[in-house]
Amino acid sequence: MKKAIVYVNQFFGQLGGEDTAGVGPSIHEGQIGPAMAYNQKLDAEVTHTIICGDNYMGTNTEDAVNQILGFLEPLEFDIFVAGPAFNAGRYGVACGTICKAVKEKFGVPVVTSMNQENPGVEMFRKDIIILKGGNIASKMRKDLPAVCKVANLYLNDQPIGPADELNYFPTGHRHQVFVEETAADRFMKMLHARITGEPYTSELIVPKMDRVPVAAPIADLSKANIALLTTGGIVPVDNPDRIQSASATRWGKYDISDMDRLESGVFKTVHAGFDPAAANADPNVIMPVDVMKAMEKEGVYGKLHPYFYSTVGTGTTEKEAARMAKEILPLLQEDHVDGCIMVST
Amino acid sequence: MKLEIGNFYVKDIVFGDELSFKDGILTINKEDALNFVREDDRITEAELYIAKPGDSIRMTPVKEAIEPRVRTDGEGLFPGYTDDLRQSGNGTLHALKNCSVLVVGRHWGGFQDGLIDMSGPGQKLTHFGELNNIVLVADTNEEFEKHEQQKMNDALRRAGHKLAGYIGKCVKELTPEDTDVYETTPITKRPQEINDLPSVVAVLQPQSQMEAMGYNDLIYGWDMNHYLPTLMSPQEILDGALVSGSFMPCSSKWSTYDFQNFPILRRLMDEDGTYYNFLGVIMANLNVAMDQKERVIQMIVQQATELGADFALVTEEGYGNPDADYVGAIAALETAGIKVVGVANECTGRDGASQPLVTLDEKLVAMVSTGNVSELIELPPMDTVLGELEALGRDGNSGGWDFDENIGPSVREDGSVLMEDNGLFCGDQTVGWSHKTMKDF
Repeated sequence: MKKAIVYVNQFFGQLGGEDTAGVGPSIHEGQIGPAMAYNQKLDAEVTHTIICGDNYMGTNTEDAVNQILGFLEPLEFDIFVAGPAFNAGRYGVACGTICKAVKEKFGVPVVTSMNQENPGVEMFRKDIIILKGGNIASKMRKDLPAVCKVANLYLNDQPIGPADELNYFPTGHRHQVFVEETAADRFMKMLHARITGEPYTSELIVPKMDRVPVAAPIADLSKANIALLTTGGIVPVDNPDRIQSASATRWGKYDISDMDRLESGVFKTVHAGFDPAAANADPNVIMPVDVMKAMEKEGVYGKLHPYFYSTVGTGTTEKEAARMAKEILPLLQEDHVDGCIMVST
Repeated sequence: MKLEIGNFYVKDIVFGDELSFKDGILTINKEDALNFVREDDRITEAELYIAKPGDSIRMTPVKEAIEPRVRTDGEGLFPGYTDDLRQSGNGTLHALKNCSVLVVGRHWGGFQDGLIDMSGPGQKLTHFGELNNIVLVADTNEEFEKHEQQKMNDALRRAGHKLAGYIGKCVKELTPEDTDVYETTPITKRPQEINDLPSVVAVLQPQSQMEAMGYNDLIYGWDMNHYLPTLMSPQEILDGALVSGSFMPCSSKWSTYDFQNFPILRRLMDEDGTYYNFLGVIMANLNVAMDQKERVIQMIVQQATELGADFALVTEEGYGNPDADYVGAIAALETAGIKVVGVANECTGRDGASQPLVTLDEKLVAMVSTGNVSELIELPPMDTVLGELEALGRDGNSGGWDFDENIGPSVREDGSVLMEDNGLFCGDQTVGWSHKTMKDF
């Protein structure tokens, strides 16, 4: 019999409600809460249940993840499932966080379930399989078997079918599959639908593009306050804001008012999408503080904003990028920044 | 315009004394056929084989596929190319169905050549895995391109086209099992009730991106790199006006067999007059430079508009750079109020995570996808290899490689193969055969 381990939060782990959301992770032999249903429906025995308070996972993420990975280290298991998390935001993010960490550390398949409104979906759907779940806990009877269906495919070494067939959020991978109808059949059907105005589904959905109009030119560059921003992951060497190396959700703001350039050893890049050697040797190749300071002295423009803003672009979702921009924008406006140089990599 | 194609369904192919077709059996005198092939003194080595569905046969490097046919009026099959110019699209053809002539390099392959398996998991990956094939395996004295990654394959491809005509002659005087009739009335002479129907135009974008001559698709023998969009009747295409080229990753290729049988065009003709009025084909091309692309797109839109098209098919023979022509044409037609259904393969990478087309546009709203050129394909060994398996890894095939530190070479010692979909001969079957689509995972 293969072995499974289940992750649930304090509520489903029967520790209590919001009052126990701050409790740290614990591991229990056997099945607690939904783990009992998992034990029945999975083609595996649920050997352990892990419980962690949502707030603890949210605020002490690194510690919670490390503790749980420590629990799992001596155990043998073939699959790790979490949730379902429904539309519980903190629980969804917790399920995504721990599933991703377990998958990366142990290489075992992980499966969870969330409602489409759960913020955990956008954060983790590219990393793990998240079933499309209901919005409230009463959907458990539908959501939990859906998780088991996919988990059992893994457990029986079967291929995981397309997202629309198994009802999970697309992970950002498109592959070819064989279908009964030929391309000519499908073309004729789609043409017929377009002519008659009947509904059809395009086999390639082009995402809506969020186009931003080009800003008006800066009227007088000699007085302009210019800020530097980058998605190239330049940060102080200790990465104080713990910006992720890929699929970033965090950004940082760093004071450069008293320096003429970014020194190697003081700044570095945490970007995992390119060879960091050149940027670590001279961070100015990505964040050109040296050139900007020199041009400021020459009077090419008014002044360099005393802070630069940084995050990592690789793998970062458009949604997360937009959120970070909306957080940074008011700060730039508050400081009367007239123009920004967005340095890409 | 009226084209009749009389069908002779090939159930089996054998070598025998005399070239003949009887009771579904195509008999070929091998030596006579090879002597015919050797009339081109560029051919240095030639052999004929038969490859049928279920045979444990792998073929590579495959260069071209042609349906064997004959014109009952004695005219040549490919005007302006193997034969004198004539108007294609009228008259009567006799065709050997479920059958193709395949041309395979004896040794040397290249970027543009492909692989066909006749059994196992690879059989369904090409249309030709399902056909009875006459396989010409040959070499030439074209030393100038022996080690070039891009090959014109001129002697071999011409040998295939001529051999298809040579074999087709055996059914010239016979009565076909059944006949397909493709008849159209000139656009302005159609009855009112037809002209009142929503109208559809087919925009085809054959491959023509090689600046040097001799590699691109031909229209009446003319290199389509030096060409601008032209209105054609679909019958012209079914009757040899278009000949496939020798340039581009092979799974995206439209072979001459594909042009002769173009399933989507035939379907458009079949249902013409029922709920739409099929106006015909705007035969476009694919280009490299942006102004060339824009010029052709502008002319496609103008011609479609002038024809009064309400709806359009757009399909491209290629991926990557030509996606700009493809997406550009679709977007421009939609902007002009002509609703498009597009048919093409995608390139989402081995991990499936890349953008499916090089450019995207929100105006692409009705798309048929025929496969992922980068999909990794693993194929078990076959008992027989026609051609040279090493060519897949050695000669720069678009779906093969000779070394990879992580996944090993394409051609393994036991004869099994790991390759990209790119290298399957006309594998994405964009002309309409394709049973593949793309799904999100």
